[in-house]
Amino acid sequence: VTDDATRTLGKGSAPPGPVPEGLIRLYSMRFCPYAHRTRLVLQAKGIRHEVININLRNKPEWYFTKHPFGKIPVLENSKCQLIYESVIACEYLDDAYPGRKLYPCDSYERARQKMLLDLFYKVPHLTKECLIALRCGRECADLKLALRQEFCNLEEILGYQNTVFFGGDCISMIDYLFWPWFERLDVYGIADCVNHTPALRLWIAAMKQDPTVCALLIDKNIFLGFLNLYFQNNPDAFDYGLSC
Amino acid sequence: MSGGSARSLGKGSAPPGQVPEGLIRVYSMRFCPFAKRTLLVLKAKGIGHEVININLKNKPEWFFKKNPFGLVPVLENSQGQVIYESAITCEYLDEAYPGKKLLPDDPYEKACQKMVFELFSKVLTNKKTTFFGGSSLSMIDYLIWPWFEWLVALELNEYVNHTPNLKLWMEAMMKDPAVSSLFIDPKAFRGFLDLYLQNNLEACDYGL
Repeated sequence: VTDDATRTLGKGSAPPGPVPEGLIRLYSMRFCPYAHRTRLVLQAKGIRHEVININLRNKPEWYFTKHPFGKIPVLENSKCQLIYESVIACEYLDDAYPGRKLYPCDSYERARQKMLLDLFYKVPHLTKECLIALRCGRECADLKLALRQEFCNLEEILGYQNTVFFGGDCISMIDYLFWPWFERLDVYGIADCVNHTPALRLWIAAMKQDPTVCALLIDKNIFLGFLNLYFQNNPDAFDYGLSC
Repeated sequence: MSGGSARSLGKGSAPPGQVPEGLIRVYSMRFCPFAKRTLLVLKAKGIGHEVININLKNKPEWFFKKNPFGLVPVLENSQGQVIYESAITCEYLDEAYPGKKLLPDDPYEKACQKMVFELFSKVLTNKKTTFFGGSSLSMIDYLIWPWFEWLVALELNEYVNHTPNLKLWMEAMMKDPAVSSLFIDPKAFRGFLDLYLQNNLEACDYGL
């Protein structure tokens, strides 16, 4: 059971109090890939944190004081400082907290990871469109082709570098920033999009061995339960699978 | 002499040699606002550099080996390391070179600058939708428009050619009845601006 296994807050909920010192708070949703990035970094760096899940279909009024458009993820610290945009939040955590650095120390290597992130920018949109098309019973051959092309580009990088991970022989920030969408390929029904990219499949296998990734792996049946309710526009979707 | 005013290299040109030690090279174009960002940081930090201007209308084949996207700015150092995307080049220079830091040290202050930059980039690239609020014109478009109208009035709108989505947005805006009925006449605007800059009290009534 991960530490974000709590019911969402929706309209009419009381705003949470200030963040206690020594903790950082993450506004999240258990199935959101962007928030997943931030949860991976919090886990990887062993940062003490609390999670407040937001009902994205029924957002609390107070949440718009945390983010102007009510998006997640958002970090809030005990100084009432707010940080949003998943990549910015992840970098903030790496900068602000001691211990293991997820971005490389070398400035060129850091720049390279940021350039790699640019290569990834079409993947979230394409995977989401495939999911929607499949769930609505529509054809998505064109979308899958486009996604496969993006994966080919990533495959080329791994081939050129001849490393297991995108940042080298050890897992680093860029791998965590990519991971959430690859974890979702299977449950979205598009796992065959990596059929022609062996290095990428090896990377996926290596990622599944990482303790941080493993600690946050989402149970397939629970995810499917969430997706079923979500596509029926059921506002309880976001709390699917919670025991309490 | 940084060579910022050198003629651009185009198709058929010989690829430049290795970057001399102690210098960093920037592939640029004199009128590109994205490349301007990198030049500003190089200057602000006093970083020794050389400039190679690229003919963006007739790109040299070798340039795609530097940046597969074929865009400027691109940095290349004496170790042959290449960095592209304007914001990434700027951050790299700030980290790799000593002297005055342009990005704040405090992680939160640094994150704030990046959040503002993201918002600004969304205005510039406008990747997702035709108008800033969605598929039809709405309040946010009217709120942003006046500054872009200035570009048209000053006949500077050529510069949005680098940001095609923004150019499309401007063209769509100029078709809007409210925008076109209130459109500033370029001559009148220039007249106003001339007088205004001379602190002439009649500036505001120019043309009446």
